[in-house]
Amino acid sequence: MKKLESRHWAFLGLAVVVVATMLLNFEPKLDISPEAKRMHSFIDSLPAGSIVMVSFDHEASALPEIKPLALAFLRHAFSKGHRLVGIALMAEGTAVGYRLMDQAAAEYNKRYGVDYAFLGFQPQIIAAILSMGESIKQTFPRDYSGHEYDSLPMLREIRKLSDISAVVSIADGNLATHWIEYGRARFNVTVAAFVTAVMVTSYDPYVSSGQLRAMVGGLRGAAEYEKLIGIGGAGRRAMLAQAASHLYVLALILVGNVIYFASRARKGRG
Amino acid sequence: MVEILMSRRVAQIVCAVFGVLLFLLFFSNHPTAKAVTLTVTTQYWQVIAAFALIVGAVSFMRVNFKSMSRKQDAPFRAVGLLGMVAMPILALGWGIGGSSPFLWVFENIQAPMQSTVFALLAFFVASASLRGFRARSVPAAILLLAAVVMLLSRSWFESTTSNILMVTSDWLRNYPSMAARRAILIGIGLGSLTTSLRLIVGIERTWLGGNK
Amino acid sequence: MDIGTIIAGLLTLAILSFLYRDNPVYKFAEYLLVGVSIGYALVIAWKSAMMDLLLTPLFGQGDWSLVLPLMLGLMMFGRFHAKTNFISRIPLAVLIGSGAGAAVPAMLGPRILTQVSGSVVPLVGNNGLPDWSGIVVLVGVLSTLAYFFFSREHRGPLGVASRIGTWFLMIFFGTTFGYTVMSRMSTFIGRAEFLLTDFLHLTR
Repeated sequence: MKKLESRHWAFLGLAVVVVATMLLNFEPKLDISPEAKRMHSFIDSLPAGSIVMVSFDHEASALPEIKPLALAFLRHAFSKGHRLVGIALMAEGTAVGYRLMDQAAAEYNKRYGVDYAFLGFQPQIIAAILSMGESIKQTFPRDYSGHEYDSLPMLREIRKLSDISAVVSIADGNLATHWIEYGRARFNVTVAAFVTAVMVTSYDPYVSSGQLRAMVGGLRGAAEYEKLIGIGGAGRRAMLAQAASHLYVLALILVGNVIYFASRARKGRG
Repeated sequence: MVEILMSRRVAQIVCAVFGVLLFLLFFSNHPTAKAVTLTVTTQYWQVIAAFALIVGAVSFMRVNFKSMSRKQDAPFRAVGLLGMVAMPILALGWGIGGSSPFLWVFENIQAPMQSTVFALLAFFVASASLRGFRARSVPAAILLLAAVVMLLSRSWFESTTSNILMVTSDWLRNYPSMAARRAILIGIGLGSLTTSLRLIVGIERTWLGGNK
Repeated sequence: MDIGTIIAGLLTLAILSFLYRDNPVYKFAEYLLVGVSIGYALVIAWKSAMMDLLLTPLFGQGDWSLVLPLMLGLMMFGRFHAKTNFISRIPLAVLIGSGAGAAVPAMLGPRILTQVSGSVVPLVGNNGLPDWSGIVVLVGVLSTLAYFFFSREHRGPLGVASRIGTWFLMIFFGTTFGYTVMSRMSTFIGRAEFLLTDFLHLTR
């Protein structure tokens, strides 16, 4: 068996910290950030029955963060009586979006074709946004399951992007930027986003300039949103483990720097 | 005749025509302009992109067959090819919706593995934090401090300390950090703008490849 | 526990085995992932773009205006051989030209002008006192842009501005690093929850 190196001990430590805190099964009390409140108010402000497009612009690798975010939003939107049109601008988001919309819709007794629909995927992101701006039906002649566009009552009410109250992009990369730069700029559509934590700082300038109406990021954002809408979820369950893992990383940084500065001082004296 | 039609010059002209067309269509609300936009995006752009994906898949198969013939990781490459071929067969046989085997493979094989590959990064971040993250200079110390504040603010719960941490981290994020990111965005925007113009005008020709 | 959960759990552990070292089990999982991912993307793209936008309208509804896009798409297969590579230039030209043309107004307006205008905010508040946050943003944007200006040597006022820009960049990288750590930890926590709850039934 190979001898364990220092990195293996660091790996083991992380695994122990996370597993131990998850086994505790304890949910700490959260402060709600202004971003989560802003998104919540925005969804609340839309009149009941508004048609919102939700775009699953992510890969399967981001599922642990994306799923709690997406479910929290879908549940909130359905509870407010909004109608949802799902699309995916990344291939893997298609299967995820299809499943999550069905799952959330079933919890609120929503009917397919009347309260929600899932149109599927189109490969070229910018082309898809530009063509939806002119005609959603010609971009998606059939939905993911093969139903003709006009056969679904809800879809007969929307012809192009400007007929939609808002687009909510659920993204793990910079696809929400394309919604802002092509969808909002050309067709004046309101854009909001749920993003993975790693993308939060990338979208801050768009939030600041008002191009992104609201943004919630990461598992912490999902937990805050779940708390706001009064449900439990994977976000809230993960908060203790997440806090513990952060403190573990901070401890490693501290230890690493102490060792570094101590050896530098010894070299200086020697 | 074919070679003339496929020459670099003709390709450049096609690039310029579509570039100028898409640029001008942005500004027009005329029904003809809208129809042209729809045609270009759905009939040309999307369709050609779909063929490009098929080209990618075929290239994957060719590369793997070549490596297998040289006995390089042959069993593993066979598994990859099998996985690739199995998905269209499952889709054709049982569809892609509901409780189809196609979606079952995605949910129980592809998605778990894909998210676990990214989960490995958590361990590498931990290892890098111990071995590489040093406050060697003033800028490095600033970076470290900002990271510490961000991480602490998301690790504390309902308390005065949490409030202070959150206010500090939010200010850092919404002002100095955002300002730097904005400058990067503006820089990238200027670069993308010039590259796009160079492509349309024909100054940038690397995509054409060699020969005539 | 259903067979899907068992397989997902075993494959998760196979990927995690890489943390110890590269091994045949990990390699098997990795190659399987790549193959299945490509097959999946192929099916989804075929159904949505090829069937719905090309083959059904062309052969099912007789829309013969799609013959030209079909030909352009088939020309992409010229890339398979060095001698026929030149055939793919025309469809590539369509893709690249369209993308470049659409990008010009997108970069100019939303990316550059709106972001610049977002930085130009009143530097004095309603109470007559300086708005320090607005000043920080303006100084931050200008100094960071100065850092990325490489056409002149960073000396004198440009050098000072560039050094200030470095500090703003460090704050950005620090906050981004913090969020990156959060993101990566979240991904692992998600997988850990699956293993502990669905696979091993150790938690609810």
